[in-house]
Amino acid sequence: MAKKRAVNLSGVPPGISRRDFIKFCSIMAAGMGLPPAFAPRIAAAITASKRPPVVWLSAQECTGCTETLLRTDHPAFADLILDLISLDYSETLNSGAGHQSEAWRKEIVSDNEGKFILVCEGSFPVKDGGIYCQIAGRPVVEILRETAPKAAAIIAIGSCASWGGVPSASPNPTGATAVDRIIVDRPVINIPGCPPNPYNFLSTVLYYVTFKKLPDLDSRGRPRFAYGRLIHENCERRPHFDAGRFAEQFGDDGHRKGWCLYKLGCKGPETFNNCPTLRYNDVGVWPVNVGHPCFGCSEQGVGFDEPLFSPARPTYITPPTQFAKARPDGGAGGSTLAAAGVGAVVGAAAVAAGVSLGKKDKDHGEE
Amino acid sequence: MARRITIDPVTRIEGHLRIDCEVDNGRITNAWSSGQMWRGFELILQGRDPLEAWLYTQRFCGV
Repeated sequence: MAKKRAVNLSGVPPGISRRDFIKFCSIMAAGMGLPPAFAPRIAAAITASKRPPVVWLSAQECTGCTETLLRTDHPAFADLILDLISLDYSETLNSGAGHQSEAWRKEIVSDNEGKFILVCEGSFPVKDGGIYCQIAGRPVVEILRETAPKAAAIIAIGSCASWGGVPSASPNPTGATAVDRIIVDRPVINIPGCPPNPYNFLSTVLYYVTFKKLPDLDSRGRPRFAYGRLIHENCERRPHFDAGRFAEQFGDDGHRKGWCLYKLGCKGPETFNNCPTLRYNDVGVWPVNVGHPCFGCSEQGVGFDEPLFSPARPTYITPPTQFAKARPDGGAGGSTLAAAGVGAVVGAAAVAAGVSLGKKDKDHGEE
Repeated sequence: MARRITIDPVTRIEGHLRIDCEVDNGRITNAWSSGQMWRGFELILQGRDPLEAWLYTQRFCGV
């Protein structure tokens, strides 16, 4: 007789094994900075509750944020993502077009008033009456203003929606504006990044579904579990920075050896994000590990603002969270700084690292 | 008498597209397609270091 399980997993989408599902929930819990014990609670929330309806508004965007969500590498996870939320309106995915699409949005919004999650992708142009982005002949900023008050929660995905992003780069020709500058009377969760890590978005949605409240946000409206620390603090090249070993030019000896990219313009010291621990594309890559400096895509006033190859202006002087092995060929007894490098293993190590980082986030003060 | 058909938004594409057709006796006599969103990359790139141009232009389209 089958042992009764603590969590009813009958709602797990077909095609996903129980093991994969629990693994996914554990990664999500770790991403939120919660202990693994919360995984069953997240699993229960996913399988029990009605999937939250999501209305996805597209403004001045490149659809990269939609893509990052849809193109997670493992098909099972991509299926899972679309089964976690009920993506009811998205111009990129809607089957209907034109007036059908418009009618559908109005129906979804009125039928789910106060219940749906509004996700905004792209910045909203306000210059010249908002004519630089129009849907069905209306400025998209008007659609935002009439939709936002009816939403249960508002999430701005990507740098454009969070703080303006590329379209707001000087001289900001269209008056590209962030969601939280237009909707000022209620909280907006910002998930900046160009593109943001899809798991940061999913963690935020799952947090809301599981705990029925918004996650802890910093002064820029970002979930602290994801944006609580500088890239520089968790970077696997940090030991080289501390030791004064820098790549001076692209392709030089130091660059080939994987030394610190600070002198090539890395903006890790002024950018808050969890790229070094969460990484991208499900294969454990992120810009710095493939040899390009971070350019601060998620940080207002850094990405698309500071010169690309000029050194960062470290404002927050912080120690690294842990010390990776500084000498790859160190030999026995070589390193007293022998904590495991986060970058070495993706998967279990990332989960463990996520949990410990999350705990430390609690005592991380205002940025 | 020609009739105007407008499809806006066109879905399942990247970006914001609008199609206008003029239909006369069941035949399309004229048609227009127009992008409904503009970010001004042409103006943003002016005066910048050419080595930085990729950072902006690769964000035309994320698909």
